[in-house]
Amino acid sequence: MEHKTPKKGIFNASVLQNRAFSDKYSRITFELEKKAKTIFSKAAAGQFAEIEVAGLALPAQNSIPQQLTDVSQRNVILRRPFSFADVVTGKDSVVVEILYAVVGAATIRMKTLKTGDKVSVIGPLGNGFSLPDKKLAILVAGGMGAPPLVHLSSIIKSQCPDTEIVVFVGTKSVSDLAFFEVKADKFDKKKITLGEFDRHKIKAHISTDDGSAGSKGFVTEILKQWLKENKPDINNTIMYACGPEPMLRASAAVSSEFKIPCQVSLERRMACGTGLCQGCAVKCIDKKTNTEFYKLCCKDGPVFWSDEVVWQ
Amino acid sequence: MAIDISINLGSVKLKNPLMTASGTCGYVDELDDFMDINQLGGYITKSISMQPRMGNDVPRIVETDSGMLNAIGLANIGVEKFIAEKVPMMERYKTPFFVNIAGREIEDYVAVADKLSQCKQIAGMELNISCPNVKQGGITFGTDPAVVKQITCEVKKVVRDKILIVKLTPNVTNISTIAKVAVDNGADALSLINTFTAMVIDIETRKPVLANRTGGLSGPAIRPIAVYLVNKVYNEVAKPANIPLIGGGGIRTASDALEFIIAGATAVTIGTASFINPDCASKIPAGIKDYCQRHNISSIAELIGSLK
Repeated sequence: MEHKTPKKGIFNASVLQNRAFSDKYSRITFELEKKAKTIFSKAAAGQFAEIEVAGLALPAQNSIPQQLTDVSQRNVILRRPFSFADVVTGKDSVVVEILYAVVGAATIRMKTLKTGDKVSVIGPLGNGFSLPDKKLAILVAGGMGAPPLVHLSSIIKSQCPDTEIVVFVGTKSVSDLAFFEVKADKFDKKKITLGEFDRHKIKAHISTDDGSAGSKGFVTEILKQWLKENKPDINNTIMYACGPEPMLRASAAVSSEFKIPCQVSLERRMACGTGLCQGCAVKCIDKKTNTEFYKLCCKDGPVFWSDEVVWQ
Repeated sequence: MAIDISINLGSVKLKNPLMTASGTCGYVDELDDFMDINQLGGYITKSISMQPRMGNDVPRIVETDSGMLNAIGLANIGVEKFIAEKVPMMERYKTPFFVNIAGREIEDYVAVADKLSQCKQIAGMELNISCPNVKQGGITFGTDPAVVKQITCEVKKVVRDKILIVKLTPNVTNISTIAKVAVDNGADALSLINTFTAMVIDIETRKPVLANRTGGLSGPAIRPIAVYLVNKVYNEVAKPANIPLIGGGGIRTASDALEFIIAGATAVTIGTASFINPDCASKIPAGIKDYCQRHNISSIAELIGSLK
């Protein structure tokens, strides 16, 4: 039998750290078993892992936020998909960093993972962002769409040093910024610096729905404003977007209006993440024949070109 | 002690009773990254229809307590592309492949079976007359004894040397009635159970979560019912007719698989568990051997239908 080199696998991982860094978000880092190193060291930004959470205990009752008391009663059997915020390859091992929001039956259980605990991880899964061959990369992050774009920015910095990066971040409110290093200006609380981008000297433009940080309004509005004012060379610019679907749809519209190619990272309910269940369909259009068909978010995506997606 | 866990599915010998359940393992090689497919007793492919099918709109899946609902809608590449691109891949493996077939009309099933019967790489076919998520074919056929009779007869005429498995739905008053019709009309084996029609409602919108409104419930939630139905069909139909059963529904472990075998299943299928642990099916034969060793059983044949 001919053997192909596996591009993904099922691996054990040890929790290095699992810590809440805001009211909403936690950051967890895993060290993968040695045999995962070769495969995971090639992980692209935008790829993801499926983490087994079914066997995890619930926190003590008094530690469960009131809004989750109902949903936390649900049993969990399926794995949960998480994008990488970072993948660091060491001499003998690979460390994966994931940011997660505690929103349901699975993520409330993940809160109980502590240093040294073992979990099962399947990955790296899907197709990530392709690296730019352009002078300018515009990253557009909405809410929990930030982590894979943080990962992308650090990869672009190291592998495409000639590419300039500009970042646009939008959330509902300042407390929804899914970043580990959020610093407010001493004199102007709305002026926020995001350490993840600042350390690479990347300019981050922030908007919030309620105006509590950066500009008030949607991220795609400040993006359009910036494009009108800065008029980048559209033949030498690419956009990358990750966030809630309405924001991605708006990003696709900006991409179309300004004729800048755009890659979007989509989210779907997934049972497996490996292409087996066919649950995570994404309606796409064949531009040559103008016919619609489905691709799979987990296998063909989660990253798609914005103009191949049929936006609902 | 040498323990023989090989089984016979009609004229096809399987090295062990573990099979993949249709619709949970892709077409041929999708599990390659996670396990050696040669460790499986048999492989039942995703449903194949005459024409390619896009499948249902999303959401297609939703998790529920101890299970999940799916309403994929038999999305598949169609028989022509399957034969051209996927069937040749089967030659890489020693494991027998069984192709699950679906259609909108009886003629579709016959046409697909006829085309597949000419592929030497295929050991058998499984008639999907139990999918709950399509408006034509599927469950609408599997609940009507007259249609089951006709479709089994017609397909049997074209399968040549391949074995014919009929997959049964649990969404009927008496599953044995349908099982008997299938067996009386040429089924070489029965596979049971397909999923239960079910619904999950989003209370905020007061709409069903799935775009198809309903979906098929699978996973550990259905296992005790599946064990009961396997035992019922074994006693009432399969044992008297000497026809093997392929049992499945929520199997995750060797002990789950053994329950089905003791209830009367000759082979067992792993479905939803492959979504969670894609190497699940390859790990179970060792557990079955351990059990046989502990109970001083030299052949799995002694266990099949051994419920006291």
